[in-house]
Amino acid sequence: MNLAAYRKKSPWILHYNAGGCNGCDIEILACLSPKYDIERFGMINTGNPKQSDILLVTGPVTKRSRERLVEIYAQMPEPKVVISCGACASTGGVFRGMYNCEGGIDQFIPVDVYVCGCGTRPEQIIDGVVQALAILEKKTKALEEPVQLKRAAKQEEGQLNRRELADDIKPLLT
Amino acid sequence: MKKIETTLEHLRKDIAAFYNPGLHHFMVMNAVETGEQMEVQWFFADYAHPCETTCFYALTGREDEVPSIKDIVLSAWVAEAELVDLMNIKVENTAKGFVLEPDFESGPLLKKK
Amino acid sequence: MGRQYEIPVGAQHISLLEPLHFKFTTENEKIIKTDANVYYVHRGIEQACVTKFKFRQVSFVVGRVCGLCSISHTTAYSQVAEKLLKLEIPKKAKYLRMLVIELDRIHSHLLCLSHVAENSGFEALFMKTMMYREFSMELLEAVCGNRIQYDFSIVGGVTRDLRTDVAQQILQRLKTFMPQLDELVGIYENNWTLSLKNKGVGVLTREQAMQLNVVGPFARAAGLEVDVRNETEDLLPWKEVGFEMITDTAGDVHARNMIRLREIYVSIRIIQNIINGLPEGELVTETKAFPEGEATVRLEAPRGELFYYAKGNKTQVLERLKIKAPTFSNVAGMVKAFEGNEYASAPAIIASYDPCLSCTAR
Ligand code: SF4
Repeated sequence: MNLAAYRKKSPWILHYNAGGCNGCDIEILACLSPKYDIERFGMINTGNPKQSDILLVTGPVTKRSRERLVEIYAQMPEPKVVISCGACASTGGVFRGMYNCEGGIDQFIPVDVYVCGCGTRPEQIIDGVVQALAILEKKTKALEEPVQLKRAAKQEEGQLNRRELADDIKPLLT
Repeated sequence: MKKIETTLEHLRKDIAAFYNPGLHHFMVMNAVETGEQMEVQWFFADYAHPCETTCFYALTGREDEVPSIKDIVLSAWVAEAELVDLMNIKVENTAKGFVLEPDFESGPLLKKK
Repeated sequence: MGRQYEIPVGAQHISLLEPLHFKFTTENEKIIKTDANVYYVHRGIEQACVTKFKFRQVSFVVGRVCGLCSISHTTAYSQVAEKLLKLEIPKKAKYLRMLVIELDRIHSHLLCLSHVAENSGFEALFMKTMMYREFSMELLEAVCGNRIQYDFSIVGGVTRDLRTDVAQQILQRLKTFMPQLDELVGIYENNWTLSLKNKGVGVLTREQAMQLNVVGPFARAAGLEVDVRNETEDLLPWKEVGFEMITDTAGDVHARNMIRLREIYVSIRIIQNIINGLPEGELVTETKAFPEGEATVRLEAPRGELFYYAKGNKTQVLERLKIKAPTFSNVAGMVKAFEGNEYASAPAIIASYDPCLSCTAR
């Protein structure tokens, strides 16, 4: 089997609390426990951003944890999926507008799946993770698509203009 | 709740006379705005039953330096560091930055800036 | 003198549920000094409670201070507001509050125990404890309608009645839980592998606990008799429902585990007594008054003493609200108890403190 197959069968999750009340965090822990058993999807909770595929974030982003959040996201290898767990991670929730909160993690990093509720139920988290798996698969496919330059060079004033050849893939390069 | 008034000069003497680690424990420090002044409070509670909560309080100006009781009550440094940041009062030997980021606006809990 | 190294742990770490940062200075694997940074999750709830929210709404906001002991926060706030309003609440509401607090204590203690097992490297015991813990979450959902964030106490009383079928269900489930708890006690007490990581590790003596004003199971494991349920009776009648103080003398990680397990027995007894002797009556006392004056309240949360101070000014919005969480008192003791231990034991010691930083930082 190759890496893509492993990734589909066994995505690893990373959990970061960006200032929430622990409510959603213990529900994530409950997901790992025998009753809800998220490991049947092959998931393991890991502590290392460099080995993980799915980032689960809870909490409104506080001023002191926002740099850590961005740092963790940046350290994760592509392809990666971000799930925001709970009302306060999605929008700020009850903490919206408090002086040390930024309100919602999507102001800092791109979010793929929003899970609602204060606090979220384990069933909802599992549902969100399963949706994230589909997104992860799509992102993997997009990543593995070979890059092809489809434009042909243009004939201009007796010369070949190759300057616009790579225009289609420029967004990928930045 | 038993409230005992004290002043900044007598504070350390009063608390040293009162505090006995075997009988009471220190809980927390608090500050309340009373008009132009601040009322700084130190809370202690007994171990015994029935339990009495004792509160020492001192009225200070906003710019006054509050003496530290770190050497009398060994765990008081956490409460002092928190109050320095949140209420913007000055406490002896305590730097800012324990609770909030260095670029914060001083005293977010104050109603009258 | 050997060479000294600094090892940081946190803010994101596999053994931590919450952002918390420790900087250990080590010498030959021994920790000689610790710095703690516990304010990663400071949100500013105290300020919002006295500006944005009216005093009746605040009890829902302070529940979000901490998801593990939200019922302790909402109850403590409700009590302090009732003191400001000079309100006497029905006896039935008091009993129901105690019921939910004790159910919450069971789930919180089991969570902490499982976390200690995981951080000591005993994954199977973590799974087992989490599996046994699940019944308390289901009971809480049956009583309050949500697995976490119950919003059960409000100013003046409680929001829901205890249905008779739910009461029967609680008694039933507790009966099936008893042999499971005995099994857990057997493992945590006697397992040889676990004892290597837990016995004699992270010791805080009674003398130190007294000097550093430590509270909760952390202090009781060191032999300090501090429990708010033992000290006050005016707000919740703990002695009436069979509270009993539990202490140990060793003060290490193992003693803290045993304290938590033995407290679960007390909680179970309290719950059974409450259900069997639940008084009749109203759930809420209504009032149109506004909060006025100053009041303080202490309450025993799963992690120790919770303290609320409130000041009202005869309007809808409070003048000042101060929350002191149990872990706040324990920070000084936490830093102390690391000294002289191996760095490899640090995760288990951290878990055994049961730190709740969202309470501390608010
Ligand atoms: S959504 Fe609610 S339960 Fe979840 S972390 Fe935020 S405040 Fe806590």
